[in-house]
Amino acid sequence: MLKKSIEAVGRYFLFLKMVFRKPEKWKIFWKQFVQETDKLILSSIIIVGVISIFIGGVLVIQTASNLENPIIDKMYIGYMVRESLILEFCSTMVALILAGKMGSNIASEIGSMRITEQIDAMDMMGINSAGFLVLPKIVSVTVLSPLLMLMSFALGLLGGWIVVDITQIIPTASYITGIKSFYNGFYVFYGGFKMSLFCFMIASIAAFNGYYAKGGSQGVGHSSTKSIVITSILILLSDLIVTQLMLY
Amino acid sequence: MIKVEHLNKSFDGIQILNDICVEYEPGQCNMIIGASGSGKTVLLKNLIGLFEPDSGDISYGSTKLSQMNYYQKKALRQKIGVLFQGSALFDFATVLENVMFPMDFFTDMSQAQKKERAQYLLEKVNVVDSDDKYPNELSGGMQKRVGIARAIALNPEYLFCDEPNSGLDPYTSILIDQLIGDLTKEFNMTTVINTHDMNSIFEMGDKIGFIYKGTMLWQGSKDSIMHTDCQELRDFICSNALARNILERE
Repeated sequence: MLKKSIEAVGRYFLFLKMVFRKPEKWKIFWKQFVQETDKLILSSIIIVGVISIFIGGVLVIQTASNLENPIIDKMYIGYMVRESLILEFCSTMVALILAGKMGSNIASEIGSMRITEQIDAMDMMGINSAGFLVLPKIVSVTVLSPLLMLMSFALGLLGGWIVVDITQIIPTASYITGIKSFYNGFYVFYGGFKMSLFCFMIASIAAFNGYYAKGGSQGVGHSSTKSIVITSILILLSDLIVTQLMLY
Repeated sequence: MIKVEHLNKSFDGIQILNDICVEYEPGQCNMIIGASGSGKTVLLKNLIGLFEPDSGDISYGSTKLSQMNYYQKKALRQKIGVLFQGSALFDFATVLENVMFPMDFFTDMSQAQKKERAQYLLEKVNVVDSDDKYPNELSGGMQKRVGIARAIALNPEYLFCDEPNSGLDPYTSILIDQLIGDLTKEFNMTTVINTHDMNSIFEMGDKIGFIYKGTMLWQGSKDSIMHTDCQELRDFICSNALARNILERE
């Protein structure tokens, strides 16, 4: 078991070495990059947006119900919602959602190509199949995912504002004051960095599992499930490490 | 020319190929025949470099495959066309884009030139009016034809076909055989075909190698195969009713 795990880690890094070889033609790489951005980032906007709005609203209600002490200013509810969103929800929680959506998409796409010999066909043409198929995905999600995080942050705050405005659980003015108070720009960088790192892991681990899928459609399903499980655990583990290193 | 010397290959301690020695000449259809599980596909995948042999050598011209570095192998692969058993057409590309795919990577042709060449090749393999279709919209025979067009897009010196007739009706099988045979002669390619289809063997077998349990038991041509003394090969041939009748009459 341990030996197999060490072997898998070794193969993963050898796989990354293949992926990060210089593309055969930059023109083809950029074309793929645009397509992957559409498939992986743009198509995630709706799910991330919907979840962010609802979570923002729920966070407001939960925080308000825990801060009923009259000596605590109500604006702290807005402040705490903002900090919760930027520090944890918009990067880690969104990344866990994307691990399922993007991860299964990448693993099943590449796994299907493996079992139908399409990857062999590319290799036989002298094309670096790992580079052609995986590099644009990794670059796209690593570079552009912080934008998804920022969108999630904005929509989370909007969701909170909608709930505040409809329910008047706290005065709207207090909520607005709270989300504007004690702003720390480093937290935005921290959230964006985490999101980039997590999305790199999602794309590379899913692609690795798909690339070495075996055994027909069952093997593709297995590689997809495996990549989601591994990525989710690694996201939580690296969240802990990055938080310790960057915030403490 | 392709030369295979004392090739051995095993998986998980099970010997799949045993001391294979064979030579393939240009302008010929060289067939690898044998029952399912005899090691044909493993031999083919060793020849094209998808598997590494345990021991032995495979030479393309005067250069051994095992001594080539990454870039030499890459250059060699541009001279190789492969038709896979399931055609292996790219799902994400149309018929025309599939044939243009190797040209996109390895030529400096303009888009119009690539399109013109791809259409010429598709015409050559008799696939017309399907440029914008996706592989899943084509029949098995059509997919094989497009696979052939893609395989010869860069004018390869070597063409490998893994069971080109599998899953095809007899009539389409004959057409595919004729197409591969004609292209081999026309472009003077070294063609290696992996099959257990007796019709293909009699149709195209300029040189035939019979593999039995990983060992190359017999080599000859389509003219000599019916006169073989090799009992395992006779048993293999007799699995085909027509060939059995001929053998019995002789």
